Amino acid sequence: MRRGLWDREMVALLLLLAMMPMVLAWLGFEGTDALGRLIFTLMISGFWHLTFMLARAQPPSFAGVLTGVAVAMLAPQDLSILQLIIGISFGSVMAELVFGGWGRNVLNPATVTLAFLGFGFPTSPWHDFAVPIAWAAIPALAIGAFFGVMSARLILGALAVAVVAVLSGLAVGAVLPMSGIVLALLVTDPVASATTPLGRWLNGALYGALIVLFAVGWQGAAAAQIAVSAALLSSLAAPLLDEIAIALWTARRRRRHG
Amino acid sequence: MPARAGLWNILTEPLIRQNPVTLQILGICSALAVTTSVATALTMSAALTAVLVMSAAVISLIRRHIPDTIRLIVQIVIVASLVIVIDQILQAYLFEISQRLSVFVSLITTNCLVLGRTESFSRHNPPVRSMVDGLGNGLGYSLVLTLIGSLRELFGAGTLLGWQVLPTVDQGGWFTPLNLMLLAPSAFFLLGGLVWAIRTIMPEQTESLEFLPPDDPEDTK
Repeated sequence: MRRGLWDREMVALLLLLAMMPMVLAWLGFEGTDALGRLIFTLMISGFWHLTFMLARAQPPSFAGVLTGVAVAMLAPQDLSILQLIIGISFGSVMAELVFGGWGRNVLNPATVTLAFLGFGFPTSPWHDFAVPIAWAAIPALAIGAFFGVMSARLILGALAVAVVAVLSGLAVGAVLPMSGIVLALLVTDPVASATTPLGRWLNGALYGALIVLFAVGWQGAAAAQIAVSAALLSSLAAPLLDEIAIALWTARRRRRHG
Repeated sequence: MPARAGLWNILTEPLIRQNPVTLQILGICSALAVTTSVATALTMSAALTAVLVMSAAVISLIRRHIPDTIRLIVQIVIVASLVIVIDQILQAYLFEISQRLSVFVSLITTNCLVLGRTESFSRHNPPVRSMVDGLGNGLGYSLVLTLIGSLRELFGAGTLLGWQVLPTVDQGGWFTPLNLMLLAPSAFFLLGGLVWAIRTIMPEQTESLEFLPPDDPEDTK
């Protein structure tokens, strides 16, 4: 530990800690079914981390657990075991492990898995949660922001857009609980979200804006589908938002210092 | 120029070792677009191979007479004429498939694979060698297209060339079609996976790293 306490695994463990209120509420409400699913996704995710450790000497990470949790909670229902295996294998290998492991990936592996499952098997219905699980997303976000592993700016940016949308009377009420859960599970992932202060505000605001756009304009989409799509698009845009923030910063410096 | 390679080498080299799609990443736009089924992939492969061989022959025949300054225009005119002929033949005899290939047969004109071969090989080599080179590259392209087309059709619809291989749930079987396979992104995934697999087997194809990762992730500072 030459560089102190804050290595990659510490961040992953704190993220896991932050997820706990939500995960426990979810397990409490949905019981053994959910637990079985969670154990299953954890096994597949862990298998790929071990495979890449043996094949490429890539250190395995607790981030694999985060992927497993997010997929178990959000994946569409009625998927066969084989379909889940294909989805998680694709997401965790193609979106995370081939890049060299957690921290070098561009997109959150769970987001990719869920988008893959959603677009690949459009007939299976999306999951919906009991409302208290969505309330549990608030302490999750608070814990994450308190320890600094989730960006408070990002959360506030998304929240600001949501407040504006609600005040202006747009019909977003139905998707808000799910958006909160997805915000905690996928969007605030420190690797796949923006990293500059302004970029984080923009990232959160973009996520919120996409949610509002889809909720208003996407007929017949499930809440989880809307939230996952918004998460995918906003995390694809994150590098661009950082780029914008850095360009603005350099432009300001050039004006000030010539 | 190093020692002249034999005809057999010219033919077999582009199949895997110098494959135009997986090594040079040329012509992938059509490779992504037409591989939703094996039939379209095969037709497209045949059309491209025919254009490639014929344009190689024509350009190689007149290679000493093409003025360097307008060589690209001359090459494109020749390729475009051949493409129009092929397109008309397809519309005459394989109308249904030519409808499904839509604009992509005409777009062979701008396929970087064709122009790449005429520009880099046919301009400097006699007709027979150029035609063999065109054939080899056409076959290499066809190989990749057929492979990706088979995978996409098999997992996207459970069929191969229209024959039901995996009985789908709709028909009382067990296989749930993977709809994603019929969308464009899956071709990217498959092509990427294929490139990965080939470069794992043949590490000499791997490009050199742009930067070196530290041995120990904690050492980044």
